[in-house]
Amino acid sequence: MTARSDGLLRRIVRHRADYLYVAPALGVMLLVIGYPIYDTVYLSFFNTPPNLALEDKIFAGLDNYGRILSADSFHEATWNTLVWTVFSTFFAFVLGFGAALALNREFRGRGLLRGILLIPYVISAVAASYVWRWLYHSDFGVIGAISVALGFTDTPINFLDNTTVVMPALIVVNVWKEFPFAMIMMLAGLQTVPDHLLRAARVDGAGTWESFVHITLPHLKGVTLVTVLLLLVTNLNSFTIPYIMTGGGPAGASEIWITHIYQLAFGRIRFGLASAYSVILFIVMMGLGYFYVRALTQGDERRGG
Amino acid sequence: MAQVRLGNIVKHYGDSIAVDDVSLTVEDGEFVALVGPSGCGKTTTLNLVAGLLELTGGTIHIGDRQVNELDPKDRDIAMVFQNYALYPNKTVYANLAFPLQMRKTAKADIDRKVRAAAASLDITHLLQRRPRELSGGQQQRVALGRALVRDPKVFLMDEPLSNLDAKLRVQMRAELKRFHQDLKATIIYVTHDQLEAVTMADRMAVMNHGVLQQYDTPEVVFNAPLNLFVAGFVGSPAMNLFPAEVADGGASLLGPEGWRLTLSERNAARARRATGGVILGARHSMIGLHGEPATDRIPGRVYTVEPTGDITFVHVRIAAANVIASVGPDIRLRADDAVWLSFDQNKLHLFDVASGQALRD
Repeated sequence: MTARSDGLLRRIVRHRADYLYVAPALGVMLLVIGYPIYDTVYLSFFNTPPNLALEDKIFAGLDNYGRILSADSFHEATWNTLVWTVFSTFFAFVLGFGAALALNREFRGRGLLRGILLIPYVISAVAASYVWRWLYHSDFGVIGAISVALGFTDTPINFLDNTTVVMPALIVVNVWKEFPFAMIMMLAGLQTVPDHLLRAARVDGAGTWESFVHITLPHLKGVTLVTVLLLLVTNLNSFTIPYIMTGGGPAGASEIWITHIYQLAFGRIRFGLASAYSVILFIVMMGLGYFYVRALTQGDERRGG
Repeated sequence: MAQVRLGNIVKHYGDSIAVDDVSLTVEDGEFVALVGPSGCGKTTTLNLVAGLLELTGGTIHIGDRQVNELDPKDRDIAMVFQNYALYPNKTVYANLAFPLQMRKTAKADIDRKVRAAAASLDITHLLQRRPRELSGGQQQRVALGRALVRDPKVFLMDEPLSNLDAKLRVQMRAELKRFHQDLKATIIYVTHDQLEAVTMADRMAVMNHGVLQQYDTPEVVFNAPLNLFVAGFVGSPAMNLFPAEVADGGASLLGPEGWRLTLSERNAARARRATGGVILGARHSMIGLHGEPATDRIPGRVYTVEPTGDITFVHVRIAAANVIASVGPDIRLRADDAVWLSFDQNKLHLFDVASGQALRD
């Protein structure tokens, strides 16, 4: 009680050892996270020349923000980012949860199947992107060849150079890459469902489905929330797969925020504009981060209370 | 309510045998306690009756129906678990309603039954709370209520009081007993606490290593244990057991410490039935302490004295063996006093060393 009324300084002095332990980590974070954030926000208020001579920058106030928010490319990239994030998250979660439910039952070869399903997750995203680019290739791609052989199409589909198909094609790769993450999370969650509750439900007359709805699902609420939020953040931040497979093309059809920012900063050397763009993304991420931390700590309070 | 009949039930886990050929009948409306040390197979037996485990062999009847192949939900049983197993995301009301809801009971009926059960357990004011907002005793009542609403044929209880503190346990023990009397319910109650079994049950089934050791009323189990295990398990402090040789053609016992105890006619006849040595069993209350020797007394030395208020336990050393006797609170004894122990020959227990079985008339 008294600690709360004390000043911050006195508290730091009293617990100086604790603060000392945290100091190195805090210092590193200030250096590699804090400073870049500060510099990005600072740069976002300037017009920068299209070269690396940043001392020639001119203060522009909120101009960069105004230009971004009114640009068509921003609206297109935002729409693409939304489609990308929502569909990737949804399908990765559904597929991962399904796989987790399957793996949660005892059967022969369970360990092997779990290992196989984890492969996409542990493969390097860069390597996987190149492999998928070949699978999708309009002339030599396996997927196109198979769909022709099976008679689905007359000519191989041009997955990556077609503005309507490119987004779904990329989302498929992304879902393939990250569903094992959802699977691991949900499997861990499933394994903590208390056995005595399931037994109680069986005695009370619940079948498999009722037990799932009344016991398992409520128990998985926390881990579901955390998994979905983490997937959302990962997908909003996606870069590797779209950048390597299409670079945002064709004609910006697969351009999402991060690839667009990269293009602005390092393609067109517009650091001020790219910084403002990053700040907008940062604000969105902080919003998600708030819900993530709340989801994590809510459980703590419940346990504590 | 219904009778429960276990016929030679067996449960194996791989190579280990958890329940070994147990047969017993729980009569309609009877309160039976399954009691034994942990790992004795009592909880496994209960789970077999519930249908949460599959039998390796034998039959289980509830009422006239053989239930071997039936799911727990089709056996018409209700279960109270050690950790209550209340559904944490549901209110108390929803917890009580759950078994009825699963049986597609009409809404109005559910409401009526839930409120009746809540009223009978005095938890009506808790109906809108969640389990984590309740005390241990309240959770216990809710668990009982959830078993009660459905009016099952049999109540199965798995150490329902073991998570409560000592004071609450005594109170809930009385409430459970009353609950049984009011409902005339058939109850199978698992506990490792022999005191719970003795105080509440109509009959108790003592188990060890998966084998049923004795199944009888608490009085009989307490006064005439069938073997050394039951003798040592039931009663607190435990029955004093010490080995001896049969001497003088059965007329007396010779202790390894050199004492000689003259037996009554009846006990001599029992002792003669022993195949080798015997083990003498005596509860603390059957042992008298004296200041002088006699032919039917064993010499010993007071080791320590434990006054408990209304009774004083005296630990006596006979050479290396420790014996606990009890005396009235007004008798003053001190450590290292020489004493002579006498036994109430009518309540002396004799066991065969080789078989561990009680020697009977």
